[in-house]
Amino acid sequence: MGSTIAEKILGAHAGGAAAKAGEVIVAGVDFAMVHDARAANALKMIGKLDSQSLPFVGKTAFVLDHYSPPPNAEAANTHSAMREFADRHGAVLYDIGDGICHQVLPEGGHLTCGDLVVGTDTHSTTYGAFNAFGTGVEGTDVSAVMMTGKLWFRVPETIRVELSGELQPGVWAKDLTLHMLGRLGAEGANYRVIEYCGSAVAAMAIDDRMTLSNHAAELGAKAALLEADAKTIAWLKAHGAREPKPVKADADAVYAGRIDIDVSQLPPQVARRHNIDDVVGVPEVKGQKINIALIGTCTNGRLDDIRQAAAILRGKRIARGVRLVITPASRQIYLAAAREGLIEALTLAGASVEAAGCGTCVNITGHLITADGEVVISSANRNFRGRLGNAKSEIWIGSAATVAASALQGCIADPREVMGGAWRPPAEKAVA
Amino acid sequence: MITTISGHARVLGAGINTDVNCSSKYLPGRDNAYIAQRAFEQVVPGYAARFGQGDIIVAGKNFGINSSREQAVHIMRMMGAAAIVAPSFGRQFFRNAINNGLPVIECDIAGIADGDVLEIDLAAGRVSVAARGIVRSVPPLPAAIQSLLAAGGLIPFLQQHPDWK
Ligand code: SF4
Repeated sequence: MGSTIAEKILGAHAGGAAAKAGEVIVAGVDFAMVHDARAANALKMIGKLDSQSLPFVGKTAFVLDHYSPPPNAEAANTHSAMREFADRHGAVLYDIGDGICHQVLPEGGHLTCGDLVVGTDTHSTTYGAFNAFGTGVEGTDVSAVMMTGKLWFRVPETIRVELSGELQPGVWAKDLTLHMLGRLGAEGANYRVIEYCGSAVAAMAIDDRMTLSNHAAELGAKAALLEADAKTIAWLKAHGAREPKPVKADADAVYAGRIDIDVSQLPPQVARRHNIDDVVGVPEVKGQKINIALIGTCTNGRLDDIRQAAAILRGKRIARGVRLVITPASRQIYLAAAREGLIEALTLAGASVEAAGCGTCVNITGHLITADGEVVISSANRNFRGRLGNAKSEIWIGSAATVAASALQGCIADPREVMGGAWRPPAEKAVA
Repeated sequence: MITTISGHARVLGAGINTDVNCSSKYLPGRDNAYIAQRAFEQVVPGYAARFGQGDIIVAGKNFGINSSREQAVHIMRMMGAAAIVAPSFGRQFFRNAINNGLPVIECDIAGIADGDVLEIDLAAGRVSVAARGIVRSVPPLPAAIQSLLAAGGLIPFLQQHPDWK
């Protein structure tokens, strides 16, 4: 009986052969992350350990991304406690403006294929795009990792999702995940790991693969794992990761379920107001008026998202009365977008560009509070009522392409029908 | 080591989000004691007032779904909860409960009513309500989890076993 990627990675980290779904193991962790929204709790837990030595602290990153910049003194005080802790104990520190945790960890070379990574955030599933088991935990867990390098895990079952065919231009991993949310429902994969495979995954650029793994959190997935290929390995090496040792599932691995989707006919998708699993094709809601358009977050604030938006908006103006805000997911992405002239093109088109961070994902910084009755179209991952500070406004969710096309027209628009909407990422260079 | 727990069942419905019903996420600035007196009020009025030391939370499927705050478990312990029995739990909630020394037992709850005296045998893997003739076997908690619970949670466990041996 064969094993899934998750069973192999967890088993190897518990010092043995592949683990089996359902088992509880204590496994060595390769890297851990604490962000500012959970740091106060984590620091309290570490305080209780009254341990002078935290031997694994160097494999932990403290990331100041949610309250970036801090909206009040309490958040600012948490930030200074995080900086002070990182200095005193030698944790890795990513400060305000460096970017969102799920972007800076891979960019910083902190993880590689086959790794076991935990973070105090649900979207820690993102690292699965690099064939690393990434999962969300709480402050107590990260404290244990800093002290012992280990953590307990219940080995999850896996659902294998095969994405065959080829995505149409203007259709992205975002649309695929929204489609799956419509089919399975939010939390439809609770406790389970999703293994994504198939020709459509192989064709995706790394940025899009990160969306696929990241957004699996809305499906309730404990991790969302992809196999590694030449693109993965080239990307990891270019970012200074340790030697990748890809982990594949066995042909006779046991799965809790299998889903096959031919993606070729899939139109761009949107989640309608308030519910991430209330999903329809863009053609069905085209013309819905919008007031605010947001591109950013750990789901869709990457370079290809910004390139796609610029491909649509370059040389044009967004619709009168619409606000477009772009928040790059990291400083590196911001810099690359500036060097490629994307920031200039988008600014000329009427966008405001914010410093890298969680930005307008949630009403945390106070940067984006909606008015009564306003309609937002966002590339974020969550749209529950009141997420942007006003329960009388509504958030719809779509790809960066759909958001940019909608900003241009002032209503939800199909990117396949606007100039530049069929833009495709350049083929990633396979670095030797 | 705790092997058996017995207490009165206090019943809740399915799909309870503990961030919403048992944390300060939407009550900024309120302390745990304040929330402990009002926990789950929105879903079962009077729940916290009836809840006594040593009572057992009995809930429908996906208890703690979509929640991630450890604070919810701290509050349940403050309320006096001895254990939680539910057919399934939210993933992060399940971790948080064990890390904070609160036993979580995955078990069918059909036929269990509020106020029933529930017996849980953690080592043998059994949940029973003698008065109703209910005896259900559940997978026994793995040894690694039993030792965390016995210590009172992950932090006290590590204070006793700094190298996780
Ligand atoms: S961008 Fe949004 S979803 Fe992602 S880590 Fe930040 S707040 Fe969470």
